Amino acid sequence: MQQKTTQLSLKSYLDLHQLLNVYRGSHEENRLFALTQKNQKPLALLLAWLQKNLYRVTNQLESTKYLHYLTLFSSLFGFIVLFLGFLTGVALLSYSGSEPVNVIYLLLVMVGLPLLSMLLSLLSMLFGNIGAKVFAHLSPLYYLEKVVNLLPFAKNITFSSLPFSATLTKWIFLQRVQIFSFLFSLGLFLALILMIISKDIAFGWSTTLQVDAKSFQALLSTLSFPWRDFLPSAVPSLELVELSHYFRLGEHLDSKMIHNADKLGAWWQFLAMATLFYSLGLRLIFWIVAHYGFKRQLKKESLAIDGVSELIKEFKTPFISTQSHNDEEHLEIEETLREVDEHLGEKYEAILGWNFSDEQLLLIKDSLGVNSKNREVVGGKNSFLEDKKIIEQLKGEVLVYVKAWEPPTMDFMDFLEDVLANSSIKRVDIVPLGTAERNYKSNREEMEVWLRKLESIDSDKLGVVDV
Amino acid sequence: MSSYHPKFAVVGHPNKGKSSIVASLSLDDSIQIGNTPGTTQVKRGFPLKVDGKIVYELFDTPGFQRARRVYAWLEEHGDVPANRRIDVVKQFVHEHRDNKKFRDEVELLDPIINGAGIIYVVDASKPYGAEYEIEMEILRWCGQPSMAILNLIGEEDYREEWSRALGQYFRLVRTYNPMTAGHKEHVDLLESIAQLNEAWTKPIKQAIEVLNKLYDLKVEQTVSTISDYMVKVLSFVHKQKIVGEEATPHEEKVAKERYRNKIIEYEEREQRDVEKIWQHNDVQKEEEQLNLDEVGLFSQESASIFGLSQKELILTGASAGAITGAGLDLLVAGSSLFLGTVIGGVVGGVGAMFGFDNLYELKVLGQSVGRRELTVGPMQNLNFPYVLLGRALYHASLMAKRSHAKREAVNLKEVSFTEGVISAEARKTLEKVHVKLRKGKELEKEELAEYTSTLQKSFLELLE
Ligand SMILES: Nc1nc2c(ncn2[C@@H]2O[C@H](COP(=O)(O)OP(=O)(O)OP(=O)(O)O)[C@@H](O)[C@H]2O)c(=O)[nH]1
Ligand SMILES: [Mg+2]
Repeated sequence: MQQKTTQLSLKSYLDLHQLLNVYRGSHEENRLFALTQKNQKPLALLLAWLQKNLYRVTNQLESTKYLHYLTLFSSLFGFIVLFLGFLTGVALLSYSGSEPVNVIYLLLVMVGLPLLSMLLSLLSMLFGNIGAKVFAHLSPLYYLEKVVNLLPFAKNITFSSLPFSATLTKWIFLQRVQIFSFLFSLGLFLALILMIISKDIAFGWSTTLQVDAKSFQALLSTLSFPWRDFLPSAVPSLELVELSHYFRLGEHLDSKMIHNADKLGAWWQFLAMATLFYSLGLRLIFWIVAHYGFKRQLKKESLAIDGVSELIKEFKTPFISTQSHNDEEHLEIEETLREVDEHLGEKYEAILGWNFSDEQLLLIKDSLGVNSKNREVVGGKNSFLEDKKIIEQLKGEVLVYVKAWEPPTMDFMDFLEDVLANSSIKRVDIVPLGTAERNYKSNREEMEVWLRKLESIDSDKLGVVDV
Repeated sequence: MSSYHPKFAVVGHPNKGKSSIVASLSLDDSIQIGNTPGTTQVKRGFPLKVDGKIVYELFDTPGFQRARRVYAWLEEHGDVPANRRIDVVKQFVHEHRDNKKFRDEVELLDPIINGAGIIYVVDASKPYGAEYEIEMEILRWCGQPSMAILNLIGEEDYREEWSRALGQYFRLVRTYNPMTAGHKEHVDLLESIAQLNEAWTKPIKQAIEVLNKLYDLKVEQTVSTISDYMVKVLSFVHKQKIVGEEATPHEEKVAKERYRNKIIEYEEREQRDVEKIWQHNDVQKEEEQLNLDEVGLFSQESASIFGLSQKELILTGASAGAITGAGLDLLVAGSSLFLGTVIGGVVGGVGAMFGFDNLYELKVLGQSVGRRELTVGPMQNLNFPYVLLGRALYHASLMAKRSHAKREAVNLKEVSFTEGVISAEARKTLEKVHVKLRKGKELEKEELAEYTSTLQKSFLELLE
């Protein structure tokens, strides 16, 4: 049921407002969405985004209610106004036969009044709220608002209950003022045509003011400038103007007038054109202007909805991600440590240096003063075969030096396993050593790493010594 | 989805800072880092993506555990010309995929046999050992472009001996400290990596552009977060219904309490937002909570060092018209005294008179009985905005500089911050806005923009 929206509207405004209250999307989602769109203009993106996500609003859409009442109000009012216009036209053109219909009167209602109302609309458009206040009591807008407030559903369409501003409401109603006025004039126009067709109406003119036929004709001719050139018959001639000047004082009509009754009817063309141009045509232009003003304000306020500018920014800003998408299974760290022995054994059958070189072992011997007749390099660049041979020859108590700062690898654990598996070995003491520069003293952290790892080995033969 | 993009595997011995380096390069603080060898158990990819498209991908891997065995296997099966040695490595990986014994090696070799460049990490604060040569040999068999990173985990420096050894295996040897590296070091390292392989130069260049953009974006977002926060807090008014004609002392107390709590809540939210922007989702903080009672008028009297000194305050206030001729400011009540104090040169003790209680407005509004409102705020204390700004900018700068390899709590205690955060020039612009907000006025768009750009300058200075 969704229509394809390509332009901002009151519906899009209200929907956007409502949607952004419940959902904004992440930068990633919004950017990826924007990239799939053909039309990259911010507004087009915004509307497409709205279309796509509107389903997330699970409550009733505010716009549905609002637009329902606005349409109800507009059509109700439009109909009434059209009818009123028609009635007014009929009343004005009621021709009893005793007296011609006064053209001046007609002109005031059909042209003068609309022009005045247009002027007031213009003031409201130009001066916003200040203008509206100064001329409030003259403005049709003012009365329209009064009437609206009388409606039983007034609260659904007046701005106090809506998210948008008073200014936007003003433009919404300004637009409607133009439509209603247009309909009023249309009613008038229809009445004129109907009366002309169904009756013979004699038009005349009469005024208290000192106006002679010549200057009155000049005025009429000026008024007719828009159609003067292509429809000369709709411009009252001087002859016609002179003919139809009447005075009520005489109680009876000039005999000349009665003579020329058929000619007097020629006024209708002028009146029809005047209505068509001044009240209908100009009004249409006003409606267009009001519509433009409304659109401009709507755009301004749509962009000011909380979250919209961020959204547009996200559409335009590349989404950059640097992090991993799959979660890491965190390693449970074993907290228990193996016990440490403070003292070395009395005598070792062999001293092994895991990843130490022979020179290094000599230096260690000199420094720590622990000696044994057997000194072997294990690990490092030895092959497994070499390590295996060394393990096979071992027996009794064995001392293994390891680099404390290097964490125990599985390679070492394999080696240790093989050593412990040798049944002629009675005891294996592991000594993590610090660097030569630190006099082979290991630090706590390094030691703990080793103790944690060696904790996993279950053997009575194994000991860890801190020297 | 298998479009070409460079890949790099960060490999090495266990516990040498591989994960730390990856965390720092991928700005990902969720990576497990720990001093237990074998913390990382499986390889994990960290793609740099722009709009879903991968620019490059970094792999964190477990360390070598049974390098000797792997090498023995390769030697045994590898009687082939050098150009086909990679196939032997591939064969090893395929044959040992389900072998638990070689899980770590399979995991770490896998990205490499799939074309990843090698970034070999060692801890150069420990002496070199020949056993490393086995690992380097294995990597050499892979035949991929490679470099070595010297990480200094401890105090000592054995970089010279390491460089001599590593130079024989790697074209490029560089120092990189994942704990202190910032955006600049990050980009520098990428530039070195780009040199390893001609095919990588272009994508890495793009990556650098992307990362620079990301950085600028973060700065921008941070500043706008802080400026929104400032506007919110400085114009914040707490409203509360009261029963009688006047607010009871209890009602006043409650209202003040709520006002304070709201401001503290605003600050917490602002900090969380900034942490998110800088991708620190899991950061622990050691900090002193914002204490409104101690926001004295002068920083000498206040516990906060973020506020302005008396002299700075007078200059700022005077230049922005906050003190002279300000009819509405609550300060006016004491301003003649205030100026008199300055002129007379009597300084001590004045700040105490302008403690928290006297420096924000407390009003009772409403005409009809039963609808009275007690309002607290906006904060009238001239120093208050600077304390907030100081804290916010300092916090943000720490977040911006913090490496994603760090796991320890960040120290936000004010003592670690001594330099003035905001220059006198910047203060002038800021104060104009502060004055308006204090009076409860709305800001113009342009004013907010100017405020934000001033904050940006201060923030960028802090980042240098
Ligand atoms: N001070 C300091 N500590 C570091 C540095 N790099 C790493 N560390 C520490 O070294 C320890 C190991 O770091 P990891 O990044 O986990 O090392 P790894 O190579 O990934 O370790 P495995 O995954 O177990 O192979 C951690 O406790 C880190 O905090 C450094 O540059 N400076
Ligand atoms: Mg790791």
